[in-house]
Amino acid sequence: MAFRGFGGFATSGLIATAILWSFATTDVEFSRLLSAGPRIADFLGRMFPPDPTVMAEIKKGSAETLRIAILGTLGAVILSVPLGILASETMVSPAVFRPIRTLLAFIRAIPLILVAMLMVGAVGLGPLPGIIAVAFHATGMLAKFYAEAIDGVSRAPIAALESAGAGPLVRLRYAIWPQMAPVVARDTIFRFELNLRESLILGIVGAGGIGFYIQTYVRSFQYDKAASVTIAVVVMVIAIEAINVALRRRFA
Amino acid sequence: MSTAIEIDDLSFAHTGADLPALERVSFRISAGESVALLGPSGAGKTTLLALLDGRLQGWSGRVSVLGAPLDPDRPPPSARRPDTGFVFQEFALVERSTVLRNVLNGRLGRMSPLRALMGSPTKHDLEIARTALADCGISDLAERRVDSLSGGQRQRVAIARCLAQEPRLILADEPVSNLDPARACEILALLTGAARARGATALFSSHQPDLARRFAQRIIGMRDGRIVFDVPTSELNDNATAELYREVEPSPGIGLRAVS
Ligand SMILES: Nc1ncnc2c1ncn2[C@@H]1O[C@H](COP(=O)(O)OP(=O)(O)O)[C@@H](O)[C@H]1O
Ligand SMILES: [Mg+2]
Repeated sequence: MAFRGFGGFATSGLIATAILWSFATTDVEFSRLLSAGPRIADFLGRMFPPDPTVMAEIKKGSAETLRIAILGTLGAVILSVPLGILASETMVSPAVFRPIRTLLAFIRAIPLILVAMLMVGAVGLGPLPGIIAVAFHATGMLAKFYAEAIDGVSRAPIAALESAGAGPLVRLRYAIWPQMAPVVARDTIFRFELNLRESLILGIVGAGGIGFYIQTYVRSFQYDKAASVTIAVVVMVIAIEAINVALRRRFA
Repeated sequence: MSTAIEIDDLSFAHTGADLPALERVSFRISAGESVALLGPSGAGKTTLLALLDGRLQGWSGRVSVLGAPLDPDRPPPSARRPDTGFVFQEFALVERSTVLRNVLNGRLGRMSPLRALMGSPTKHDLEIARTALADCGISDLAERRVDSLSGGQRQRVAIARCLAQEPRLILADEPVSNLDPARACEILALLTGAARARGATALFSSHQPDLARRFAQRIIGMRDGRIVFDVPTSELNDNATAELYREVEPSPGIGLRAVS
């Protein structure tokens, strides 16, 4: 699909202008750019060998990140159950699910780190703003997933139970829920994984967790300690993924 | 003999449809009869059965099921009654639940809502479910999940669920059209046999004349929402079925023009 005609010409012009504008207005001296290589090498050199004495901080930080992710996910689940029902076309009318879906799209558009900064401003430093931020941010996605899970349910067994004389709550329990349950479980685990990954950096803005130590050690030039924490973060991400693969298989 | 179904001058059009799906339909089925609704696709069989199951609204005429008149103005499900069982073409089972759970689902309308929600069937409920499983020859599948079963096994589960309702009327919409011929005969034999054993009335639809002939005492032929014939099976002649399935004759010239 090549750029064609005037439209294509205009697009190419726009891209070129954007690149030139970025170069012209960014304060990057070429000398600094040239010396960046050796400086980064030096920086990496000072990270090595990682300082293993920060084990206690790593444990404390990761435990807090884990708590933020767990409680944040719990908050998101609690918010997403009613919002998911209100965003599903099988449960409510378009007058309800359209505005709710728009609201969820807005929530998804706000980056977590931004929500976290605002929450630190609102409730102060510590894990609490992190938990609130994760719960809020994750709801944008999780409520949408829950709505899709409800809408993806096969109607036939619901009609069959209705025909057998079962009321709406009984149908929800025996025809709708058994169909949704695995999807809900999978979606919630998936979102928990994202929450855990994303909350690793919340500490940088003062919203609790292991990110706080990376921030502290880099600011105080203790790069070897920062390296240890970074390694811990990478190990955690890999571990989360491994656990997740196993869990997902369980809920297939 | 008491009446299971009585329909008098029934007409119905789906919302948004140009043509009525049922037009001036009248017939009466006695308790204990096994009747086939025979007709090509689009004849109105599904519509008629769903209406008898209390799932449609806004028809004209008089309909009564098991002695109780249906109200055309009441929003569905108006006849949420456990004593009419329904067997669906596509089985309509909860795939991830066990066979026993699906059969117990047929008891839900017979329990108090609280007991149903608590998920605690009585000994009596379990006994009826087990009997239904045995009658359908699937006792050994009780703990299997439905998504691991074959089509024939699934329809047996659906029939067991229907029997667990202790129905006096069994409505079945093309119960065997998703099955191979041998399986189809087994399932229809099971369905009509179970109805007979319980003294229940059976009304099933089919688009296959040979199956209708083999398993029904009486055959009602439908086409374009109307009843074309209504005869005891022994009196069904081939001309009548041929008429039912006659191709719509194209208007002259259309065939040629369509090619060019
Ligand atoms: N939900 C619906 N909305 C509009 N028209 C429908 C609907 N369901 C069925 N129809 C129409 O009603 C007629 C009868 O359909 P149906 O009862 O499904 O026939 P059959 O079961 O004999 O194949 C057909 O013309 C069909 O197109
Ligand atoms: Mg049909």
